[in-house]
Amino acid sequence: MPPHVPRDRRYDADQHLWARHDAGTGRVRVGVDALGLESLGELAYVALHDLGTTVRRGEPIGSLEAAKMTSTIVAPVSGELVARNDAVLRDPLRVNGDPYGDGWLVEIAATRWEEEAAELLADDAIEPWVAAEVERLART
Amino acid sequence: MTRLLTDDGVGAAEGLACDEALAQRVGRGASPPTLRLYTYRAHCALVGRFQDVAHEVELERCAREHVGVNRRPTGGGAILMGPDQLGVALVVAGAERRRPRELMERLSRGLLRGLAELGVAASFRGKNDLAVGGRKLAGLGVYRDPSGALLFHASVLVDLDVALMARVLRMPFPAVGERELAVLAGRTVTVRRLVGAGVALDDVRAAVRRGFGADAEPTSLTAAERGDVAALVRDKYATREWVFQRTDVPDTAGAAELCTPEGRLDVRVALAGGTIKAAHLRGDFFASESAVADLEGRLRWHSSDPGAIAATVRAWSRGDGALAPEPLARAIAAAVERAREPSDPYGCFATPEASRA
Repeated sequence: MPPHVPRDRRYDADQHLWARHDAGTGRVRVGVDALGLESLGELAYVALHDLGTTVRRGEPIGSLEAAKMTSTIVAPVSGELVARNDAVLRDPLRVNGDPYGDGWLVEIAATRWEEEAAELLADDAIEPWVAAEVERLART
Repeated sequence: MTRLLTDDGVGAAEGLACDEALAQRVGRGASPPTLRLYTYRAHCALVGRFQDVAHEVELERCAREHVGVNRRPTGGGAILMGPDQLGVALVVAGAERRRPRELMERLSRGLLRGLAELGVAASFRGKNDLAVGGRKLAGLGVYRDPSGALLFHASVLVDLDVALMARVLRMPFPAVGERELAVLAGRTVTVRRLVGAGVALDDVRAAVRRGFGADAEPTSLTAAERGDVAALVRDKYATREWVFQRTDVPDTAGAAELCTPEGRLDVRVALAGGTIKAAHLRGDFFASESAVADLEGRLRWHSSDPGAIAATVRAWSRGDGALAPEPLARAIAAAVERAREPSDPYGCFATPEASRA
């Protein structure tokens, strides 16, 4: 069965991060998508930058380790880190257990959502991407 | 072709900064793909990216014995590096995402070819080691730069001062005797033990270079590269903020005992949160110490999920007459459960018998 990839949010296809925009607050909640976790396996560690950090899309907001591989987590959108899920710092397996819910990572007060949202996958673009990624993972 | 860099006697901060600077530069196309084959000065204790230094390293002994301490950008456990451990840093440009195990297996092929040329039949074990006869010969780790560039690290044991390692890396027992040292030595193997004491580190370096198909002649860092390395030393690897950073993931340890008609088995595990960072098994009915070492290696940086433990133990047992896998897996899972209860943390590059601790 293919990993669950809900359509109520957008995806940074290269980084395997999801981004859900709250139009009321302007905040974008960010997490790792199920395809990324399928590739990584169980997370052993997560580190996230301090609140108040200002980042541009593509800049580091944290890092993680899975199976002795460490990766940088980069911001899918520009803005200021305004919330951080400290529970995943203590228990990174929360990310694996509930990637779209309790396993979220950070919230960013987005400053360029309108432009940058276009660079994230949404709606009908999601399914073909998921199918291609599932096929690629099956090959490797 | 892949560029070759070689250097020896490097300091901990400088050695690690160079590898990360290369990853950054290769990722943005400012430097070519590079294979760096190097040694650290005697000696350096390097913890994994997220480990707690105080839990893994005997800091006072390191200071007394002039052992440098630092933190790698790559994952995994604490290691001791010096003139007889070949550091391998392979830096390649962005590659498509793969599972960590597959990446490490792919990136270590050149190393396996080089070792084979020396007559060392090593194989990829679990998700993190190269082993010979179940004993660890090299530890592996990978760092993915934000650009997507990959830094593959390996530490090849050409030789190993087991007594020094036991002094400066934290072990789960208060004193190191001959028996503990023998157990530690039995969990690892070195190129010199396999091929002969006469093998020089440069022989291993040359074979590994050929295994990766890198340039025959080494080059030097460019001025721009040296500048980037110096900046990373100054701003990151020489800072207390980097070396002594803490993680919120707790280190814990637990033990369990399994009684069978064949005898008694003691199991100890050390967890980093939900991950087994080390396991130690002791029982007098195993077929060989190498079989124990092999299972311990497979369980290093392994999921603590009982189902995953059972699958790994089943794959290891291969029906070769060792202890039945099901009760063994249950005993390991029981030790994991006990580790989840609060206890004193300890570090675990290798975890010799600890029942007297």
